[in-house]
Amino acid sequence: MNVLEIRNLTKKFDDFIAVDNMNLSVREGEIFGFLGANGAGKSTTINMVSSLLRTTKGEIELLGRNIAKHPKFAKSNIGIVPQDLAIYEEMTAYENVSFFAGLYGLRGSELKERTIEALDFVGLGDKHKSLPKNFSGGMKRRLNIACAIAHRPKLIIMDEPTVGIDPQSRNYILNSVRKLNRMGCTIIYTSHYMEEVEELCTRIAIVDHGKIIAEGSKEQLKSIITDTKEIWIAVKSEGAVDLESLKRLQGVTAVRLEDQTIKINSKAEINNLNWIIQQLIKDQVEIRSVEEQAPNLETVFLTLTGRNLRD
Amino acid sequence: MNVLHIALHEIKLSLRDKRTFIFMMAFPVVLMLILGTALTNAFTSGATVEGLNLLVRNTASDARLTAAWSGFEQAIAKEGVVAKPIEEGMDGREAVQEDLYTAYAEIGDDGIRFYGSSKHTIESNILQGMLTTFADRYNLAAAAIKAAPSDAEAILGSAGAAGGIVRETTLDPDRKPNSVDYYAVVMTTMIGLYACMSASYLIRGERKRNTMTRLSASPVSKGEIFMGKVIGSSFINSMCVIVVFLFSKLAFQADWGDHYGIVLLILVTEVLLAVSLGLGVSYLFKENSAGAVMNVFVQIASFIGGAYFPLEVMGTSMRVVSELSPLRWANRGLMNVIYFDDWGAAWGAVGLNLAFAAAFLAVSVISMRRREAL
Repeated sequence: MNVLEIRNLTKKFDDFIAVDNMNLSVREGEIFGFLGANGAGKSTTINMVSSLLRTTKGEIELLGRNIAKHPKFAKSNIGIVPQDLAIYEEMTAYENVSFFAGLYGLRGSELKERTIEALDFVGLGDKHKSLPKNFSGGMKRRLNIACAIAHRPKLIIMDEPTVGIDPQSRNYILNSVRKLNRMGCTIIYTSHYMEEVEELCTRIAIVDHGKIIAEGSKEQLKSIITDTKEIWIAVKSEGAVDLESLKRLQGVTAVRLEDQTIKINSKAEINNLNWIIQQLIKDQVEIRSVEEQAPNLETVFLTLTGRNLRD
Repeated sequence: MNVLHIALHEIKLSLRDKRTFIFMMAFPVVLMLILGTALTNAFTSGATVEGLNLLVRNTASDARLTAAWSGFEQAIAKEGVVAKPIEEGMDGREAVQEDLYTAYAEIGDDGIRFYGSSKHTIESNILQGMLTTFADRYNLAAAAIKAAPSDAEAILGSAGAAGGIVRETTLDPDRKPNSVDYYAVVMTTMIGLYACMSASYLIRGERKRNTMTRLSASPVSKGEIFMGKVIGSSFINSMCVIVVFLFSKLAFQADWGDHYGIVLLILVTEVLLAVSLGLGVSYLFKENSAGAVMNVFVQIASFIGGAYFPLEVMGTSMRVVSELSPLRWANRGLMNVIYFDDWGAAWGAVGLNLAFAAAFLAVSVISMRRREAL
């Protein structure tokens, strides 16, 4: 059964088409990765699903019901974890969760139980009387999640839930996402960290210029680019690297430099490694190591969109 | 139920902002104290009269006159007048010129001569009035002796009787506020208007905190969120105003009249107007500029609305301009109902407050509906 069904969805802001005739379905029990560079139309789509924006055209169905016709039903069954922290710093963790859960009609002892349950779930049970302004970034992110789950939504939309936090808190959040999924929640997950998406998501959609350009499991997406290979060359100094000369080499489709590593995408059938190394030697670049990588989501994304996820 | 949930949350949120809350309470109280004390003289039309010293030379040989004068001296002593017999060789007029006495009177069988001090005209006029009264009564008694001797005794007795020598009358019979009374009223209404500043942040604050996303994504309508916020903000600001009202009444003994119901109604409707104004402006102006607009508005409205000094000292054109200030309506309504039992201006203030509140709420609702989110 599909929890979310998007059909011919379009959103225009004056003449700019942010979402262009998009079709998408999210199945029950999935952790669905929604990938796109900045401005690809990802947030606009999420905002329309959350009823924060009106659609220009098309339909969105949640659990089989049109959200435009049943907005209360849709809103009651969705939990939002926005990218920007959406909490009251001057209210305690308990008061934050309790207030937002109260908006979903929870009252009295049920409200108390659900609030405590949500705080315990994100590991803030013992901090329920503390003010978020005294929390670390990771704790605030966890509270941000607790505020979205106390009403037990069927679909949780997580927009960059791990941005800007320490590895420990990130692991905690990723484990929480898996746990929520095991408890029966369907999750739409967006992130700029490709490894998170690769690790968590059962299915992934890549959105570019307002359209879904690829959709499927990790393996299905990787299989799209069997004709591409990625070569990583670690260098001693970035200064002398001439990326333009590398791009001109036969078979090379994309070149980028990250942390003293030249990452080259190339057509698989062309054996151009020798030419690449010769070019680097000619440019007097000191090579430390050379590796050929198996295609990953990053490569898929780059190949399909021509952009990095963080662009 | 959702409206109540949001209203309670708004009240809690306001109480957590301790700095603003303390400011809302302490600012008017401190200003009441400072302005009320410093500008006491600007509000009083009375003058204190003291030190009435009358120098007397009594050369009368008539026993009746001497007895009547003696009684008169005792009577005016009770009114605070010290009548001192002149010493041998002393010049009474010189003593008055040298400011040793307020006035000098020579009592003789042929009448009374009075010399008042030009330095203390009020005091010397009072003494002159007292002596004129004595002379009139004595002359009446002298005339009565000839016609009805039995009545003359009674008249003579009254000539020197206590009381009734000077009857106090006034040209200004209406009650007037003293400085503390005045500033208690205008500071309370001013702090009511300050609600517009916090109200301009009601929706803006949610956007700034990003909590607007959660509110808009919840199954609560825009109208419920809006109502909850207006009710919560109006309630907490009304409570602030009522606390200031009670403090001024109990601690400063400010005169708020006898009609507390209408007084509170004016104050509460003024807060509602301020909250609606703040909300309306927050929809009409971009983000932070709404706060700046409200800040400037409150200062100007307070200045021309009589919050810092009474409008009576302003020129005609300024008084016309002052009619644009909501504080002017509220202050006039309150002063009229407190001091003249005039309910017309009070109901006028309530009506204007509610009408403008409705207009600004309508502006906010229309703007809110046009937006995709709140």
